[in-house]
Amino acid sequence: MFEAQEINAEHKDLIHDVAYDFYGQRMATCSSDQYVKVWDQSPDGKWTLTSSWKAHSGSVWKVTWAHPEFGQVLATCSFDRTAAVWEEIVGETSGPAERGNRHWVRRTNLVDSRTSVTDVKFGPKSQGLQLATCSAEGIIRIYEAPDVMNLTQWTLQHEVPCKLPCSCLSWNPSLSKIHPQMLAVGSDDANPANGGKVFIYEYSENSRRWMKLETINTVTDPVHDIAFSPNLGRSFHILAVATKDVRIFNLVPDSSDASGVTKLDVQTVAQFDDHGCTVWRVCWNVTGTVLASSGDDGTVRMFKMNYINSWKPVAVLKGDGSQVPSDTNKTVQSSNTPILSSISQTARYIKLGSITNPREVAWH
Amino acid sequence: MSTTFCSTQEGPVNALALNKDYTQVAVGGRNVFKIYLIEDDQFKEVYNLRASKHLGTSFSCNDVAWSSTDDNYLATAATNGHVCVWNLGKMGKAMQEQDYQEHKRTVNKVNFHTSEPNRLISGSQDGTMRYFDIRIPSAVAIFYSNTESVRDVQFSPHNPYNFASVSENGSVQLWDVRKTDRHQQQYTAHSGPIFACDWHPDVSWLATASRDKTIKVWDLTNKPTLEYTIHTIASIGHVKWRPQRKYHISSCALVIDSTINVWDVRRPYIPYAAFNEHKDIASGIAWKGDPESFLSTGRDCTLYHHSFSDADRPASRANSQAISLNNKGEILYAQKIIISNNIATKSAIGLIRKSSTSVPPDHFHQAASLLQNYLKNTQQNQESKTFLCFAKNYILSGRSLSEMCDHNAAVAIEYGKLPIATIWRIIKIMYGEEFLQNSEIHASRNRENSMTGLVTPLVGMDHLTSDQRSRDGDTPVAQFSDETENEDQVDHVAMYNNGFPTYLNYRTGLPKGDFSFGENELDMEFDGIGSDFRNGYRSYQPIHPTQQDWTLPSEAFPIRHEIMDRSPPADQFPNHNSPDIHEDPLPVVTSIHEPPQGLLTVRIFPSRAAWDPGNILVEALKHHASLGDIQTAVCILIVLGEQRKYLTDLDESIQEQWLLGYIELLTRYQLWNIVTQVIKLSWIPSVSHLSQQSTRINTNCSKCNKPLQRIGWLCDKCHSSEYALCSVCHQVVKGLYVWCQGCSHGGHLGHIQQWISKNNTCPTGCGHFCEYR
Repeated sequence: MFEAQEINAEHKDLIHDVAYDFYGQRMATCSSDQYVKVWDQSPDGKWTLTSSWKAHSGSVWKVTWAHPEFGQVLATCSFDRTAAVWEEIVGETSGPAERGNRHWVRRTNLVDSRTSVTDVKFGPKSQGLQLATCSAEGIIRIYEAPDVMNLTQWTLQHEVPCKLPCSCLSWNPSLSKIHPQMLAVGSDDANPANGGKVFIYEYSENSRRWMKLETINTVTDPVHDIAFSPNLGRSFHILAVATKDVRIFNLVPDSSDASGVTKLDVQTVAQFDDHGCTVWRVCWNVTGTVLASSGDDGTVRMFKMNYINSWKPVAVLKGDGSQVPSDTNKTVQSSNTPILSSISQTARYIKLGSITNPREVAWH
Repeated sequence: MSTTFCSTQEGPVNALALNKDYTQVAVGGRNVFKIYLIEDDQFKEVYNLRASKHLGTSFSCNDVAWSSTDDNYLATAATNGHVCVWNLGKMGKAMQEQDYQEHKRTVNKVNFHTSEPNRLISGSQDGTMRYFDIRIPSAVAIFYSNTESVRDVQFSPHNPYNFASVSENGSVQLWDVRKTDRHQQQYTAHSGPIFACDWHPDVSWLATASRDKTIKVWDLTNKPTLEYTIHTIASIGHVKWRPQRKYHISSCALVIDSTINVWDVRRPYIPYAAFNEHKDIASGIAWKGDPESFLSTGRDCTLYHHSFSDADRPASRANSQAISLNNKGEILYAQKIIISNNIATKSAIGLIRKSSTSVPPDHFHQAASLLQNYLKNTQQNQESKTFLCFAKNYILSGRSLSEMCDHNAAVAIEYGKLPIATIWRIIKIMYGEEFLQNSEIHASRNRENSMTGLVTPLVGMDHLTSDQRSRDGDTPVAQFSDETENEDQVDHVAMYNNGFPTYLNYRTGLPKGDFSFGENELDMEFDGIGSDFRNGYRSYQPIHPTQQDWTLPSEAFPIRHEIMDRSPPADQFPNHNSPDIHEDPLPVVTSIHEPPQGLLTVRIFPSRAAWDPGNILVEALKHHASLGDIQTAVCILIVLGEQRKYLTDLDESIQEQWLLGYIELLTRYQLWNIVTQVIKLSWIPSVSHLSQQSTRINTNCSKCNKPLQRIGWLCDKCHSSEYALCSVCHQVVKGLYVWCQGCSHGGHLGHIQQWISKNNTCPTGCGHFCEYR
């Protein structure tokens, strides 16, 4: 099935988040030791550390990649009450085929929160460069970089109060133009009397505000992670929630309402307590067909939807690495040469002419 | 069990001090100087020295100290430079036993000697420390720190003659009270001002706290060595070791952060415990001699009694696990390593430091994560591999629809995806060129229908559809019920994987191009399927007494006979395409076999438009899309080309969503060429425009810097094209121009390629080692 390959991350404290980039060839890790590390995968599947830097003065909770269209950009959030945006700078190459000296620079530090910033996520790329953060004080903040070429300027667009301390958030990645922007936020508040711990917000074009659409009242235990499924072709949304168990919800927009306010029909389609203990993370594959979850039992469990729309557990991976086979060589599919990345490695250009429309960036 | 409680003061509190039995607390601040008795769940005021008339209005207390030997003696440090000694055993004005007016500036700290009675030291902003015997009205010794200001001064609990002082220039000085001329040791501890220090009660450690947002622990046994560094989020104003916990130290910040944190120095990144009671900056911490409770004061005018059981544990809420999936199906998984108490494991891992035996088992500091990458074995890595192969091998344009369908079906079969191959074949059957003629006829007939008002009422249509569906559902279930268990799911898969190709065999037996929905062929085909269905079907024969082959244009066009406008029932079988339909209830089925019912059905068979396979196809595409197989849905749509117009049920926004979804997926696999192809073939403006955004670079004339608007090789202003010459042939380049980004010379693509295959340097002779990628 799977072969486990142990990566010696050499973080001095707990790793709180790992994130693949858009192409699945780089990864970023962040840890309580206040460091963020970026790794690149060689064609034989081995990971090599390419950058490591002290990003915050507190535990770094989450790390997330921006769409590569905007460059090699990371966002981090921390216990030190800030969120930061980082960009990789490639130094000048001294000769052909030589990779330049690369390092990450802090483009901005978002200091609006008065408590620990618990999650940070880039918005869907169709909306430009947007960043959402949520904090333990229970405020969701939406930032935007008006000029995608200038990552140093971020404006705080919205502050959405959420009455409970927030622990995690997820953007709805739907590509459909008929779905307004949507965010889901989870709270790790431990008191069941405070009601539902998952909140769904939607951006209303009419009022230009984020409005709370729904509170999922069936989830009253602390929520540790939340993830919208990639929506490549569905008319409804799927939301996975990590709480004391794994929950999967279908959010069916009901646009029959003429007032323009979306109504959501929230259906619990699956509930798995296979972990038998607190579930910490949920994560989707790129097509949104497989959900992976991890819990205190030290396993990764995978769930898949079958042909009659019911979810079934399909795999369990033990995390202790005890049965790690020594031979982990794996051939990675050859892919077309990443033209753009090779261009970006040559950092300095001789000016032949200026680009008249610098705001338009090549999409890919 | 101790509890958390608080008492509100008249003004901000700057300092607090406990008596030697930890039964009373003195608090001092700008307008506050009180002594409280500490009870189980409240503070009880015993003295309010501020209320005494004799105190000057300028008095503002910076620090308070309580003698560790005599419960009656208190000392205060004032902003006006006064150091006062108070005797609680006296009354009224006599309480203020001494008032040393020796410091020229604010006194930051007063500290009683830990064992010798009557000994007191003060540290001031004027850079001096003064050593007092409280029985003598002037200082007995003065220590000059040679720094601008002394922020903290503390007697060592380990050596009766030693004390440490810290100053704003970041240095720590160690003094012997017997040597007033010079400090014993001095070292630079921080890059910013040090605001506080605290001796470890048991070992020879000194903790220092600084504006540089760190707390450092120094081992002073021999040469000062840095043992631990704690990084905090704000400047630290105060530090105090937690009693009986060797590695625990409490701290409060000078700005921003009003939390009181307790750290384990071995895990210097995240607080072991946090106390969030204060609403403003905390200004002092005093432990009650046991590790479970302490008092603190704050700028928010409060005095708090904290219980450790009420502490917030930030680490317990911290996420100790992380997972991430990529497009290849690989999984990254980081989890906390659980280190057991087993000594054998300990030595094997070699991570654990020996902790003192008095401390109960505590694994807080043992924080480490294991990061693992789960790679899928090649055999198992089907999903992404198939996606890649399909993406690369599908033909989406340039051939006839039938050819493309055949090819794509062959591709699907090659990778064992029979259902997808089947769909391609059906597409060919339904929309192939052979059928095109018919569809046009239907379309024209539809138009006529609508013109003459013969369009079927909607209700009738609904009847018909549901009726037909139920009958359709009958066929496969009847056929396969023997082979499958009665589980929905299994049924489904079985039908999808086995049933359909079997069924398809009947089709493939037909001569190519002969397909039509005429009754003859159907009859022939269904002969093989089972008499039940044929009987059911035959019951319709009275509807169509004429055995016309209506593919003939001569009959289809001019004649608008009532019968001609009816739907030929042959539309049933392609329904198998959509798996959803099998879930329809089946009760109607039985009735159909009876001829009278069949006749009844005739009556609700109104004149109906020609059968449109669109709905079924749309259902099938939607089904695939919802299963995450956006590739099939999009590729079929693209291959259909113009035929898409018959898919009236498929909203354009859905088509757009699918296209964008497929493009995003292709992008993840970096299949740029296919992305471009899909964009190029796309029929939705917003998608096809993707390739037209940001793909144009307008250059400027190298001479006059004006944009070259019309053509790339001739500047309209200076009428020169000398900068567009090829470096090899010296002709103006009017096609593809390639240039080196290093030296900016270039020319015809072919010429440069030729040149660079033989030479390393620039053709112009500029000497640059050119780099054409």
